[in-house]
Amino acid sequence: MTVSKKIVLIGHFGVGKTSLIRRFVENTFSEDYKVTIGVHISKKTIAIPEGEQISLIIWDLEGQDDIKKTRPSYLLGTNGFIYVFDLSRPVTFQNLDSELSFLKENYSNIPVKVVGNKMDLVNKVYLKEHHTIFEPHVDYFVSAKTGSKVEKLFSKLAEALI
Amino acid sequence: MLKTYIEKYHTNSFQYILVDDFGGVLEVQNPILPIKKNDRIQHSHPFFEILNGLLPIKNECFEFSCINLKFENTPYVVDITLRPQDNNENLLIIENLTKHYNNYQLTAQTRNESIINSQILALKNEYLKEKETFKNNFIANFSHQLRNPITASIIFSDLLINSDLNTEQKNYINIIQSANKDLKNRIEDILDVSKIESGKLILVDKVFNLKELLNEIAIIYKYLANKKNIEFNYSISENIPEFVEGDQYRLKQILNNLLNNAISNTDKGVISLEVSLNYKRAKKINLHFEISDTGCGIKKEHLETIFNRFTNLESDVKIDKGFGLGLAIVKHLITEMEGNIKVISDVDKGSNFIFNLSLKTSNYNHNQKAELLNEQLLKLDRRYNVLLVEDSELIQLTILKTLASTGLFYVNIINKGEDLIPNIIDKKVDVILISNTVEGFSAVELATSVRNLSKEYKKTPIIVLSTQAYKEDIKRFKQNGINHVITKPFDKKKLLEGLQKYLK
Repeated sequence: MTVSKKIVLIGHFGVGKTSLIRRFVENTFSEDYKVTIGVHISKKTIAIPEGEQISLIIWDLEGQDDIKKTRPSYLLGTNGFIYVFDLSRPVTFQNLDSELSFLKENYSNIPVKVVGNKMDLVNKVYLKEHHTIFEPHVDYFVSAKTGSKVEKLFSKLAEALI
Repeated sequence: MLKTYIEKYHTNSFQYILVDDFGGVLEVQNPILPIKKNDRIQHSHPFFEILNGLLPIKNECFEFSCINLKFENTPYVVDITLRPQDNNENLLIIENLTKHYNNYQLTAQTRNESIINSQILALKNEYLKEKETFKNNFIANFSHQLRNPITASIIFSDLLINSDLNTEQKNYINIIQSANKDLKNRIEDILDVSKIESGKLILVDKVFNLKELLNEIAIIYKYLANKKNIEFNYSISENIPEFVEGDQYRLKQILNNLLNNAISNTDKGVISLEVSLNYKRAKKINLHFEISDTGCGIKKEHLETIFNRFTNLESDVKIDKGFGLGLAIVKHLITEMEGNIKVISDVDKGSNFIFNLSLKTSNYNHNQKAELLNEQLLKLDRRYNVLLVEDSELIQLTILKTLASTGLFYVNIINKGEDLIPNIIDKKVDVILISNTVEGFSAVELATSVRNLSKEYKKTPIIVLSTQAYKEDIKRFKQNGINHVITKPFDKKKLLEGLQKYLK
């Protein structure tokens, strides 16, 4: 039996939300940056460990520097969130605390995975320097470019949705 | 009439779809999206799967704007409104705004790219600044560390040359002294560059005798030029004021740098120094300088970069001395003195460095000059007790020998900061010399402990021997009860002058 679950990707513009989805759904990557306006919706069905299948309806939202500005209708019926930030641009993770608090307060029972994208652009020393920001929140450091941990991110979220 | 025009020009951008409570399409009007009667709308595009949760909710309207949909490879950007009706019917209104949103997308693309680029640029800038600061601090710290051994080397070779040596040994010491001097100058240059780059090089304006300074320089370089069988001409205009206000140390540095280069690069011919007054107005004088030589000259392609840091024209000038650091400093100092510099040069014919700079005029006169000199000539009238706090044996020995050679001082040396207080209580101490590198204690901490001891120790002169010579360090020392700072490396003269000042 296949169940459908709606996943929403949110975060600042230019952090690589669309690239993560393209890597996951089509296994492709492009260096070109094309701004998303509104929302794009795609779908991928994956197998989960219990032997069942899950259809992920993935909503790729336009980037916002403040999560509160997101159109509420886009978030209707959401089953899981992926909050994406760009590891190489501190401006995209400097308000991580308040952004995630907003989700917690307004969507308390919905699983959230927090990911730092563009892992290919930073090194371990850099991660250590920002340890106090990342450590409490971040689930995965991923790279849409190399594909590192992208599959794992979506499958772990899918498991959490069942 | 209007109806005719509307029929002619109206383009219907709305599509109306009636679906039942399970998403089955009952009716479609104006087919924009290829959705047909009897389709199940959720199967047409993943967006419509959201209706599974919304269709059961009645009495509420849902609006979704800017939804990107793709049907048969055609992209649409639409606004969708869901209006539930009675009788198992729900109206979906789809407004095709593809053109409008595509235009908006272009604007957003430009805006976002520009913001991201400026953020990346700011980050790069910050990174470069951090790197530059690290480099400057590293250079400054490392150069400071070199000052201790150089100080020892300078002082010991000074002491050694006055001992009983044969001619050959004296020649060797002369070479060591020359190398010491060269090394010291290079370290000073490196420190100057790091000060310039971190904005810490500040000119210290004081009244000085300009004519005397220029004459002294001319005499020295005439001697040096003559030693190489080079003619040295100099002309200093009569109308140049005697006393001016400015940084004489830095002015000397400019002239020394350029004249040293001229001497190094010239094997025969003439070197000349010309100084004239450009103008005098608004309490300022502007001077014109020309230093020319008949040396090896500089290639045309190097003229533009000659004042940049670390430019070295060794291959051209066939000398073993770095050209660039000195000239970079010269250019900076001249700029700080509101002037500019240029160079005209022909290979194998020579170079001509032309620059101008401004100094302040001064009301200083000859009587004041006489007073100043008398003050400097004061001699010590008895033997004084010096307490030295220094953990470097090299510096301890250096100071001990220097002071002992004058016969004017008793020197008590302690290695550890914690021994300072026991060594001054109930003991006669006329001056305390503290090194700023004593392990475990800063000079400020030690000075504060003395000042806090009791009233009688408030006035004991405290002199710090410091490798840190930035203006803010000196200010900090003075704010904490330290009377004077002698910077390392120091020679005998500098040490005795410092002591004499506080032992009048």
